[in-house]
Amino acid sequence: MKSETIMRWGIRFYIGIFFIYLFIPLIIMGAATFNNSRFPTITPWKGATLKWFDALAQDGAMWTALWTSLVVAMGVLLVAVPIGICCALFLSTVQGRGKTFLYSLMMSPLLTPGVIVGISTLIFWKSLSVSGGIMLTVIAQTTFIAAYVMLMVLARLQRFDRTLENAALSLGASQWQTFTRVLLPYLKPAIISACAIAFLQSFENYNTTLFVKGYDTTLTVYIASKVRTGLTPAVNALGLIMISVTVLIAILYEWKRRQEAKRTVSSVQ
Amino acid sequence: MFKQLKARFGSSLSVGIIAIIGIWLIGMVILPQLIMVDYSFRPNLLPSEIGTDKDTYSLNNYETLFGNSIHLSIFAKTIWSSVLVTILTLVVSYPLAFYLAKVATPGQAALCILLLIIPFWINEILRTFSWYIILAYKGPLNALLLALGLIDRPVRFLSGDGGVMVGMVYAYILFMIFPIYNAIESLDSNQVKAARNLGAGWIRTHYRVIIPHAKPGIATGCIMTFMLAAGSYAVPALLGSPGSRWFTQIIYNWFFEGGDWNQGAAYAFLLLLICIGFIALVMRVFKVGLGDIAR
Amino acid sequence: MDSSVHLDNVVMNFGDFTAVQKTDLKIESGEFFSFLGPSGCGKTTILNMISGFLEPSKGVVKIGGKSMAGVPANKRPTSMIFQNLALFPLMTVAENIEFGLEVRGVSKAERKKTSDRLLELVALEGSGSKKPDELSGGQKQRIAIARALAVEPQVLLLDEPLSALDLKLRQHMRTELKEIQRKTGITFIYITHDQGEALTMSDRVAVMSAGKLQQVADPITLYREPQTSFVASFVGENNPITGVVDAIDGNLVTLNCGVLGKFTGRGIGTISKGQSATLFIRPELLKLGQTGDMSFTARIAEVNFEGSYLTLTALLNQQHAISVQIGAEQYTADLIPDAEIQLSFASQDAVVIAGEGNV
Repeated sequence: MKSETIMRWGIRFYIGIFFIYLFIPLIIMGAATFNNSRFPTITPWKGATLKWFDALAQDGAMWTALWTSLVVAMGVLLVAVPIGICCALFLSTVQGRGKTFLYSLMMSPLLTPGVIVGISTLIFWKSLSVSGGIMLTVIAQTTFIAAYVMLMVLARLQRFDRTLENAALSLGASQWQTFTRVLLPYLKPAIISACAIAFLQSFENYNTTLFVKGYDTTLTVYIASKVRTGLTPAVNALGLIMISVTVLIAILYEWKRRQEAKRTVSSVQ
Repeated sequence: MFKQLKARFGSSLSVGIIAIIGIWLIGMVILPQLIMVDYSFRPNLLPSEIGTDKDTYSLNNYETLFGNSIHLSIFAKTIWSSVLVTILTLVVSYPLAFYLAKVATPGQAALCILLLIIPFWINEILRTFSWYIILAYKGPLNALLLALGLIDRPVRFLSGDGGVMVGMVYAYILFMIFPIYNAIESLDSNQVKAARNLGAGWIRTHYRVIIPHAKPGIATGCIMTFMLAAGSYAVPALLGSPGSRWFTQIIYNWFFEGGDWNQGAAYAFLLLLICIGFIALVMRVFKVGLGDIAR
Repeated sequence: MDSSVHLDNVVMNFGDFTAVQKTDLKIESGEFFSFLGPSGCGKTTILNMISGFLEPSKGVVKIGGKSMAGVPANKRPTSMIFQNLALFPLMTVAENIEFGLEVRGVSKAERKKTSDRLLELVALEGSGSKKPDELSGGQKQRIAIARALAVEPQVLLLDEPLSALDLKLRQHMRTELKEIQRKTGITFIYITHDQGEALTMSDRVAVMSAGKLQQVADPITLYREPQTSFVASFVGENNPITGVVDAIDGNLVTLNCGVLGKFTGRGIGTISKGQSATLFIRPELLKLGQTGDMSFTARIAEVNFEGSYLTLTALLNQQHAISVQIGAEQYTADLIPDAEIQLSFASQDAVVIAGEGNV
């Protein structure tokens, strides 16, 4: 029993250290925003200020980059989500030889380094005389984000009771009506989650975007370039705002997901 | 296959589904990769020279790498460091994944998972940037170590590969924790109890019961982490110095500074081959199939 | 309106496996018809061919005299009640019931009228705005019936819809289903492995085994005049005794059952002297004492009191177990294990069917 107690305390200590490791960097980065210093740091502390938020608001390039990011993310959402849904529908319907191969092929963009997705897209479209820019960024990001969407939708589809489709057919619904009235409403929560993930993945993508962005700059690329050249705590201010927004969205998303889960559990009982 | 699809969705919707999947798989997944490989075997020519006698296939672009000792050593270092990052991440992640799956109460586990997800939602660049602040020459880590008297003068964390690796472990740890957590969670807790009951110590229980069960999860985590580390541009660009370049940075330079895309394509293809090789190796070592990965 | 269903020489193969052997069967308009058989006997396949989810490999299904070949499930004048009910979980009860009308483009007012009328029929007025998950098992059952009836099908197909309910509710729903069928006059085709359900509700029952129709008859005939060993032992309780045909006298066949003795019963089908055959006698047709013309002694092994009746298990010649059912009023204190009793039956009450009786 004694060794068990030590194990228990050991693991608790470890978890504690781990979460400190996980959050300290983010806290330090946030705190550096308010330091009245020319460089983003908390040591030495030179007094609190909000001037870096002002500096950020004055930064026109940042606003352009934000707009580009939003346009790209919306584009990816519109293209990748339908592709992912189609793949999930396909995989949940067909049986037989070739399915494993197709599944592996559909998964492969997730197992390919992001830079290579970017490079191959760049080269392919250059041969069609299309060069880097917002459109190529959307295409390159869609290549792997569609696979994420596929996995999320497929997970829900696998729990779908297909007799519901037969019931609809038996009541005279066409296949299209069965799809839109029975299957799509069932998939709605997964599709919404997939939209959120697709948007976020696109918004924060760096490795792929770097190669296909052309002369357009997304917010993530902009931040990275700021870190390397002309670093001021304005970057921290931007980071803090982005972190706050994502944390808010994450908590909201989790909360909604749990409500959903609770409702399912109670209805089963 | 079309017949099954048509029986469920009708012909027009089925045609739509097949068409969309076809465009994606052919136009975005397969063809770009093939064209990239094709590119890597061709010389870098002026537009007017394409299609002329000079436009022949050769291994020249690959020979460049093996003839350039700096590039070759960076290539080797990238692979080696990515393996180290993967092992380090696995060691850090496993106890936590086990705790979440089998020790924590459901409430604790839910809270921990939420806490884990939050940083995951945050931009990789920002997460890396936060380490840039911590590891800076005049940053808080040096200040702390100085205050504790552990060092006499600040350490340059950002000039070697160490900073890059710390940043990578931080950036990719969740890709390791979640697959392992999912795998361990599906293990029947009674098996752990039974092993303990039969007198197996903690180490033996993990080695003989839990780890074999978690194999697909560990394999997935290792594959993802290695792939992300070897293919990362952001972390070495932010946390590295000119002396600790990553292979992806060399590739980038061929494209946007050297202006030799064919050469860059060859380097990129080699990187892809290494990743495929690593996936194959991990699947062999852990004896798992592609179907078990990324569930 | 003619809402008969004709399985015109229908065969169903899945690859090498024959799920339904050649079947020719006509189900009359307005009939309550059941397919009864163990799981895997092909009854669900028959239902799926009628509903259009499967096309027969050979032959055609005709509904109301019209061939249904090539007509998909959503164009047939049938509607189906599924084993798991398959209520749409995201729609309200009223939306569930109105679904079939909605997809046909019926106006909202018209739909509302229908759903109100049907909710009344199944005694669930005012539940229209609830979600299916808020209802009890029996209520869900009734909503599934109402939903299937809303499209005014000529034929209602029911795939073991009561199997998920508890015993009491199941018995209650039998009465209700029968009542709804009487009120609507629709042809009901019912699939079940529960003979109680089939016998209480149906006008006629088809007993199936291994993809083959064994017998089609009304419940009483099925019970009294089983045509095959399978029907004799699957429908109701029965005591089989196997022997060799010793003598045939008119419709009476005498079997020589070796050490168990000789027994006589009514012969069914063609039976010839010298072949092996099985005599079936129902537990409730075995009497204590010597009232019938076939009498024998047996030793009691077990006595089970079941309320209004008793079940005795008796051993014939120390080895062959026979089940006897007697009214509780006939109970006497000497009916205890190991007691020797006299049993008898009337030879007209027993049936003899060719074969070993193994099913």
